[in-house]
Amino acid sequence: MLPSRAAWLLTVVSLACFSNLVRSQAPLPSGEALYAKQCASCHGKGGEGTKRHPKPLAGDRSLAQLTKLIQETMPEGQPGSLSAGEAQAVSEHVYHSYYSPLARERNAPPRVDVVRLTVPQFRNAVADIVAGFRGYPGWSSERGLKGEYFKSRNYRKEDRVLERVDPVIDFDWGTAPPAQGIDAKQFAVRHRGSIRPPVTGEYQFVVRTEHATRLFVNDTKKPVIDAWVKSGADTEYTGTVFLVGGRIYPIRLEMSKAKQGVDDSDKKEQKAKPAAPAMLHLEWVPPRGTRQVVPDHCLATNGSPEQLALGTPFPPDDRSLGWERGSSISKAWYQAVIQSTVEVSAWVRERVDEMAGTKPDAGDRKAKLRAFCKSFAERAWRRPLEPSEEKFLLDTVYGSQPDPEVGVQRLVLATLQSPAFLYQCVGNTEGPRAVAERLAWTLWDSIPDNELVKAAAENRLGSPDQIRKQAERMLADPRGQAKLMGFFRHWLRLDQASDLAKDTKHFPDFNAELASSLRQSLELQVQEIVLGPKPDFRRLLTEDLILVDDRMAAFYGAALPPAQGFNPAPLDAGQRAGVLTHPYMLAALAYNAETSPIHRGVFIAKSLLGVAMRPPEAVAPLAPDLHPSLSNRERVILQTQPTACSTCHAIINPLGFALEGFDAVGKPRTSDRGKPIFTAGEYLTRDGKAVAFPGPRELGSFLAQSPEAHDAFIQHLFHHLVQQPERAFGRSVPDELRTAFQSDLFDIRKLAAAIATRTAPATRQVATNPANSERKSP
Amino acid sequence: MSRHRHAFNRRELLVRLGVSAAALPFVTNLPGVARAAGSPATAGRKRRMVIFFTPNGIVPKDFWPDAEGPLDKLKACLEPLTPFRDQILTLHGVCDKVRGDGDAHMRGMGCLLTGVELFPGNIQGGSDTPAGWAKGHSIDQEIKNHLQKDPSTRTRFGSLEFGVMVPERADTWTRMVYTGANKPVAPVDNPYQMFNKLYGQAKDRAAVASVLDGVSKDLKTLSGKLGSEDRRLLQEHAELVREMEKEIREQQAVEGGKAGHPVPQLEPGVRADNDQMPKLSRMQIDLMVASMMADFARVFSFQYTNSVGMARMRWLGITEGHHELSHEPDSNTGAMDKLVKINNWFSGEIAYFLKRLKETPEPGGPGSLLDNTLVVWTNELGKGSSHTLDDIPFVLMGGGLDFKMGRALKYKKVPHNRLMMALAHGFGNEVKSFGNPNFCGDGPLTGLRG
Repeated sequence: MLPSRAAWLLTVVSLACFSNLVRSQAPLPSGEALYAKQCASCHGKGGEGTKRHPKPLAGDRSLAQLTKLIQETMPEGQPGSLSAGEAQAVSEHVYHSYYSPLARERNAPPRVDVVRLTVPQFRNAVADIVAGFRGYPGWSSERGLKGEYFKSRNYRKEDRVLERVDPVIDFDWGTAPPAQGIDAKQFAVRHRGSIRPPVTGEYQFVVRTEHATRLFVNDTKKPVIDAWVKSGADTEYTGTVFLVGGRIYPIRLEMSKAKQGVDDSDKKEQKAKPAAPAMLHLEWVPPRGTRQVVPDHCLATNGSPEQLALGTPFPPDDRSLGWERGSSISKAWYQAVIQSTVEVSAWVRERVDEMAGTKPDAGDRKAKLRAFCKSFAERAWRRPLEPSEEKFLLDTVYGSQPDPEVGVQRLVLATLQSPAFLYQCVGNTEGPRAVAERLAWTLWDSIPDNELVKAAAENRLGSPDQIRKQAERMLADPRGQAKLMGFFRHWLRLDQASDLAKDTKHFPDFNAELASSLRQSLELQVQEIVLGPKPDFRRLLTEDLILVDDRMAAFYGAALPPAQGFNPAPLDAGQRAGVLTHPYMLAALAYNAETSPIHRGVFIAKSLLGVAMRPPEAVAPLAPDLHPSLSNRERVILQTQPTACSTCHAIINPLGFALEGFDAVGKPRTSDRGKPIFTAGEYLTRDGKAVAFPGPRELGSFLAQSPEAHDAFIQHLFHHLVQQPERAFGRSVPDELRTAFQSDLFDIRKLAAAIATRTAPATRQVATNPANSERKSP
Repeated sequence: MSRHRHAFNRRELLVRLGVSAAALPFVTNLPGVARAAGSPATAGRKRRMVIFFTPNGIVPKDFWPDAEGPLDKLKACLEPLTPFRDQILTLHGVCDKVRGDGDAHMRGMGCLLTGVELFPGNIQGGSDTPAGWAKGHSIDQEIKNHLQKDPSTRTRFGSLEFGVMVPERADTWTRMVYTGANKPVAPVDNPYQMFNKLYGQAKDRAAVASVLDGVSKDLKTLSGKLGSEDRRLLQEHAELVREMEKEIREQQAVEGGKAGHPVPQLEPGVRADNDQMPKLSRMQIDLMVASMMADFARVFSFQYTNSVGMARMRWLGITEGHHELSHEPDSNTGAMDKLVKINNWFSGEIAYFLKRLKETPEPGGPGSLLDNTLVVWTNELGKGSSHTLDDIPFVLMGGGLDFKMGRALKYKKVPHNRLMMALAHGFGNEVKSFGNPNFCGDGPLTGLRG
């Protein structure tokens, strides 16, 4: 049933690559036999060449050109003796097995490549270089912002009458005071804390109030919204700020219900006036999102230092293998690097005295700035400077400038444009610093923090236990959480630009706001499992409760959540099975009016079970109107009947059918076009066992227990974290990780730590050493 | 000041220019730069306008010439401008008639260049009702928009807003330039920030160019340590570095040929501090002159402090703040002497500016910068102690709009909107009204051309 039992080891998303593998194993390439008989004696069994003809069979001719060449020149001594069909068959075999660039790449042993920093790594690294000087932000367990309420128009401590945590800023006070002990005519409110944006991009903030207001996001001195001067009838103010997803930024919202400028509130005529109404709402429009009150799960009450949020746009990283990696460079990338380094250098220059712990007129300023430069370069390069580098960077680049600020700016440019910053692990190829660096890329997409640098210097990264301890610490850090969540966003395709628009005739109440709620609900649901106390992989596929907010409750007919925001609720009793049946997934893997068992099935087969498939034939789906009497299930079967389709669809369709009990927006249904729904599905495991599942819950349990699903999950996570081929770290890695995952009871965070622990000590030499190289038989 | 404010924020600059980082390739100029200085003068000569603002009213008896007619001796407030007597036109009797919300300082400032009322708002002054921002754009922006519409008068920035010691506080007292209703523009009072706005890109390019050689060496060293398969990426990278070096060299050659004027050198480390005001003033004036030479803009404003400005001119031996002195009655002759000294200092700064303009030949044309520039010196009040908006100081200087200079004119309480209209008309922008149309019925102010 499966096209290839061996294929499951391959990364599945590289379809082009896979299609070749399929082809090479297609029934009878008589070419293979012909080759063995007529060609192998000179060219070698695998096209590698022989003593007499040492040149391997490799080149860049097209298949047609190669066929012509063979027909006209081969075999040696008897050119032209092959029939056209024979020449074609031999040529195809040679081309697809050894000759073409693609075949050669496939046959090459996997190795740890030299890679540049990916775009997220670049953004995180510059932010963390700076954070090394200003402090790393934390993320308190209290959701929301700290609210302070003052009975005066300013923030005088003695006028503060109330301090409390406000989960969201969404107040309509009317003419009433916001708290006891406050005069409704004149008061001030201030909210402070931290904000963690889920993804990278431009965030538009909206503050709605009738009164003076200012909003500071990240930049603690320059407001993103400044409406302290109230002018005219506007009550809504917006401002946009670029933020990097998963990082933590300080936020402060100020509001003053009072006249500014000269204080005349004590005057009699002022006292006689009735209070005007007051509201205060803090909203945002996240990238690709809809406008909403800034949710409590993105807010924390602790303060945090200002961050460098690098806004220069970059071209996207290579994702051809299904995971992001810095395997290629382009002019657009290089220009973005230059532009970024200019942006960072200006940012640093503006704040350099504070970061260097000095003042513009301090006597030791030049020395302090020099020390700052050295420290900056060493953080950026993840290692101490060689004496010659120190001389060049500090004496020439920094020291030769009459204005030390210009010197700092140039030093930043020089260090960040250097390959020592831009490429992973080129300065630290082995030893504890290399371990620290690899841990940081793997778990944070960033550079080592002060603790890791210290651990490396004190030689505390030698044993697997020591490394695992660091890995566990790092996974609990906001950056580790961000990287893990990034994986799940990718795995569940939450990062794909799908706007989830649905047919307004069928689903008139399904709007962009609901779609945004669904996305958040799924993200939060995954987050609570992955970052919570019981990060068991199996829960992802079996949990019956769905996180529901007011909008979802109304649409899906669940009981209204007891508290604000998202609360766990059964959507329909006992029918849901984790992420697969989350309405976001069901709606995303569907057409705008109809379900799509094929999309759902492909997702289960590829992303969850790791089944490799070749790209489909280009066939438009059958229009439902052409077969009005058929149910969706029947129509899909009809469409995919041809043999060319059924190889893969025999796997795909029965997996997708198990979810037919949910319509295109993820609502339960019992009939389709008047016909009862059948949710029965099946799957033939790799060890040949036929598994049947009556419905989604059984499908979820099967997947949760399936070794195939475990392997696929491990491999996906590995590639997302390490961004190198799994087997470049040794043939046994998949087995080792599977064993560890099982014995850790499918603990996702422990798996991530195991992956980091296993790969951090490896050196690139491991892969280039012939003893470790592997050659897959074609 | 809590933050050392010497450097500028690049994103801020880009936002200010209305360009996102995405739209701004590192090598290649901003729109308009390429043809900035060396552009052929198509539609006649260049015309420029500069508006100087100083706060808190003046001392009328020591400011205004006694009689209409040719200017002979200048009064004490204007005395440093004596060498440019034949280039000066004083306009007495021009009044800010705009009323509505806000106290006199607020309206004086917010309506000075806009000629229109303030919105109701929450900013309470010393008297009257609270107010917000002005309801319309200012005359300099009107003229800028007019010039930017025409490719032959378009410049890189269109207008530049300079300041000296403007408080870091955005309110009705600190803003006089508006791009539209509720859209005040903050003047740049930090010369280093202004420098970066003007020359930052070229400086950045030079800085990048200076490190590329080292980067090439690093790439080579590293390549040597790697196997052949790993070298590929670094070799591609090295090739991109070489390309960048070449492109920057070409760009610099183009710019060097076009700029045609030396980039001003700023003394490093001058802080935004009351006592540094004289130094900051000269730095900003020099940058403004350089901007004219490079034709970065045709319209300029130059704002000393703010309405109700509190400068303490200790370098003149005055320890009191300017605003508190301005409230003193005429009978306090000591205070009057100090106010005269203060205004005398301001006109000395303007005289320095005029001198620089006169000494600088007009690039690509006959005459000097002064021949093609109209300088307008104004104030938010007629007189500090009375807070009157009548007889607002308007002193016009230079040959930019072909007004007949060397005269003192006296009008009979004409609304200042008409003067704004005359400025626009001088640039060929024949507006039917400006600001509140009720004050524009009699058309542009007459008599300026003699």
